[in-house]
Amino acid sequence: MAAALDAIVSELHDADRQERIELLIDFAKNLPPLPERLERLKDADHRVEECQSPVFLFVEEDGDRLAIHADAPIEAPTVRGFVAILVEGLNGATAEEVLAVGNDLIERIGLPEILGMLRVRGLSGILGRLKKEVTRVSIDRISERSGDSDVP
Amino acid sequence: MAEAYVHPEVLVSADWVEQHLDDPKVRVVESDEDVLLYDMGHIPGSVKIDWQGDLQDQLIRDYIDADKFASICSRAGIANDTTVVFYGDKSNWWACYAFWAFKLFGHADCRVLNGGRKLWFDQKRPTTTDVPSYAPTDYKVGPRDEASIRAFRDEVLAHSKSGKPLLDVRSPKEFTGERTHMEDYPNEGSLRGGHIPGAVSVPWARAVNDDGTFKSADELKSIYRDEVGLKPEDDIVAYCRIGERSSLTWFVLTYLLGYPKVRNYDGSWCEWGNLVRVPIAKGA
Repeated sequence: MAAALDAIVSELHDADRQERIELLIDFAKNLPPLPERLERLKDADHRVEECQSPVFLFVEEDGDRLAIHADAPIEAPTVRGFVAILVEGLNGATAEEVLAVGNDLIERIGLPEILGMLRVRGLSGILGRLKKEVTRVSIDRISERSGDSDVP
Repeated sequence: MAEAYVHPEVLVSADWVEQHLDDPKVRVVESDEDVLLYDMGHIPGSVKIDWQGDLQDQLIRDYIDADKFASICSRAGIANDTTVVFYGDKSNWWACYAFWAFKLFGHADCRVLNGGRKLWFDQKRPTTTDVPSYAPTDYKVGPRDEASIRAFRDEVLAHSKSGKPLLDVRSPKEFTGERTHMEDYPNEGSLRGGHIPGAVSVPWARAVNDDGTFKSADELKSIYRDEVGLKPEDDIVAYCRIGERSSLTWFVLTYLLGYPKVRNYDGSWCEWGNLVRVPIAKGA
């Protein structure tokens, strides 16, 4: 798994309940704003449908690494905090690293304990959407490459 | 002249709450969808009661029992005669849900802060991150009248068959059946899409303004009385997906418009859309 995400997981895992709440709030407060060019693209295509709060995800290629940007309202700090963890932990990772993130990430960072099971399901939708986006970007790259070649 | 709400005392303004922050007879309760909000700042002296972690039984799908409810009230410094004011995020969805749950246990004096958390913060009223502590009370759960405000599935089936007013307050796509569940987490959805036959689609959000306050009595009447055709003597049931949005509609009909017979079907579509052999209607 990506080293940055690994570090976040251990930090949250080792925290007690109240520390975990405060860490999540810190993540929510520190999510970097979207670059202006992406701010204009906050449309239905980039919105995570699974999530009741408006969450926007953008995955771009930067060489063999991924640039991940996201936005969620501060009025929904749980969602925004989780999104910020994904951005901070996975920005600059490879597609393989993102796809290798286990779907038990939410359990491993101890969110069910503070959020309850019903609420964390919405969050797993965000991780699922991120992986789908990463897969889509990777497939686009592969098909572009095969389009360039002269293989009959 | 604009008409007033039928039970105006149940809806309190931010000014009223600010004037009663130190009133020992008043307890302000925050109830949110997002559990982190209270820790980011809340109305001074307010306590957090979580609809899920506090009010729901953790084993079976039901509310906690009377003893647990009494201990939650005791811990929050709520006595039987305390005025409890609920507020929260999302135009007071969960505040209304907690209000409704408090009524299930027969708490007498419940109110809602008009505009909820959003308006309080938008108006830059006082907030704190300090968590208060109160001397425990000797709360006693008295006689309960659950049946008058809570509907169960067999009653809803009979209600539907007899053609009594049924309000579906979900989004239009959920009503038509275009959307059965949220993609990627079917656990929270239902196996079938659509609505309960005879239900009228009146999305909950029509009752609130953009700033989170409730619409005026005149505006609400034009929706529920004139458009939907609800009559004062009607026996009305409201439902949504898990009963939270419909508790807001229940609050509006019962207290703001004064309909005496309104029940919330808290099983809602998460139950109905999974039941074997119950009738379902699709489309608009």
